[in-house]
Amino acid sequence: MNLLHLEQLSIAYGPIKALHAINLEVHEGEIISLLGANGAGKSTTLRAISRLIPVLSGKINYKGKNLLEYQPHTVVAQGIAHVPEGRGIFPGLTVLQNLQLAGWTVKHKKQLKLNYESVFNLFPRLAERIAQSAGTLSGGEQQMLAVARALMTNCRLMLLDEPSMGLSPLLVKEVFRVLREINKRGTTILLVEQNANMALKIAHRGYVLENGRIVLCGSASELMQDHRIIDAYLGAAKK
Amino acid sequence: MIYTIIQQMFNAIQLGAVYALIALGYTMVYGILRMINFAHGDIFMCGAFIGFLLATKIGLPLWLMLPMAMCLTALLGVIIERIAYRRLRTAQKMSLVITALGVGIFLENFVMLMVGPATKQLPQQLPGSIVQWFFKYNITVTWDRIWIIIISLVLMAVLWLFVNRTLMGTAMRAVADNKDIVPLMGININQVIAVTFAVGSALAAAGGIFYGQSYSIDPYMGIDLGWKAFIAAVIGGIGSIEGAVLGAFLLSGVEIFTVAYLSSNLKNGISFGLLIILLLIRPNGIMGKPILKKV
Repeated sequence: MNLLHLEQLSIAYGPIKALHAINLEVHEGEIISLLGANGAGKSTTLRAISRLIPVLSGKINYKGKNLLEYQPHTVVAQGIAHVPEGRGIFPGLTVLQNLQLAGWTVKHKKQLKLNYESVFNLFPRLAERIAQSAGTLSGGEQQMLAVARALMTNCRLMLLDEPSMGLSPLLVKEVFRVLREINKRGTTILLVEQNANMALKIAHRGYVLENGRIVLCGSASELMQDHRIIDAYLGAAKK
Repeated sequence: MIYTIIQQMFNAIQLGAVYALIALGYTMVYGILRMINFAHGDIFMCGAFIGFLLATKIGLPLWLMLPMAMCLTALLGVIIERIAYRRLRTAQKMSLVITALGVGIFLENFVMLMVGPATKQLPQQLPGSIVQWFFKYNITVTWDRIWIIIISLVLMAVLWLFVNRTLMGTAMRAVADNKDIVPLMGININQVIAVTFAVGSALAAAGGIFYGQSYSIDPYMGIDLGWKAFIAAVIGGIGSIEGAVLGAFLLSGVEIFTVAYLSSNLKNGISFGLLIILLLIRPNGIMGKPILKKV
């Protein structure tokens, strides 16, 4: 099923065009990796879906609804959670308070309780550090908290912006293992990554952005074999 | 000797409570918007006049007049934010500051047109009798002062609980912490900002009414008192709630004791001097955290 559909989406920052009429589809249950170099427009795409930036032209459809009619805070209630680049935790608040705020749109006490249970089940480390202020967590723990917050919103679609940034290889592995687990539990994932190797390993399909245009798309296994991907993103390790 | 000091301490605590109630509004708005709301002193004045009108025209007793005036002033604060500040939130900070000054001048002139420039007296609604227990030691403290101090402290405690123990309070601190991320939690940032203005303005109204129990009120009272409370907030560390209260009592203490033991002419000189010296030693105030510029 088509969960999210970007149609001819164009974005501009002032006179500079960041996205040129891109088309992108995310089906229910998938992990989609959006690859590309710095400045290709990956974060811009996610920020447009979350309605954080204005759209120049084109459509964003989510579950048959026109997302352009929504605001950032109402998008969340529709089931889209955005884990921003650099994690975006509230460093001065405790781990628990970070999670509580993410549960803002969840009105049923029972549902909220279930969300806490699944978060602490996935991230036992966070349960141990519940009263600690989020700014004192390690980089890996902060990333876990950012993902945990997304889960607290009860999302159906999770947008992740560079979750591997600044983490050691071991922690990157751990983050991707958790993402796969979250996907197995029924959350669709749109993942922006520079770490193409890891991103394609867990993805079903992938898109490649270059200078604001989609230049390549296909199943993850196809993309992993594509010589352009190997040359540009996977590098010597794959040769 | 010791009794005169205690006597002066009562005066200082009463004045400090008024400063604190105003300073909290400055510090809360600064915390979430990084903006000095220069109209806040005039919101304090409006609160005093709303209380004055409710008490004289409708004849409400204090226990009804105080909460009603707080609600109406809260509404005023929300309307000001909605009409004058919201659209400028993404503009340069200077535009916001100028607008705030303009709103302040508008409020002063509006109130003067409505009630005239003459000073007014809030009706004495709290018992003005002397506390006998203190009088035994030659300390003259009236019951109304005791009540003002108690209600002020209760209001501050309620604010502290609101900010630290409720989800809305947590959201306010989140806006102060990392504003851009708050909408991603599904939180309407406009709602959080409106609540902040409402709470800050309500506290200022309480300050205005308590001030009016001991002093006369006029449309320009917000300028002097507003600046003093602003200084208190800066001394304490603007953005910090505990700091605003601490700064308020520190400033009022310095003022009262200067008047009592040195000269009333030196009052402003010494309090502004204190501000300059303190900012030289601790640029972020007593409780303020150093601001880390994000790269």
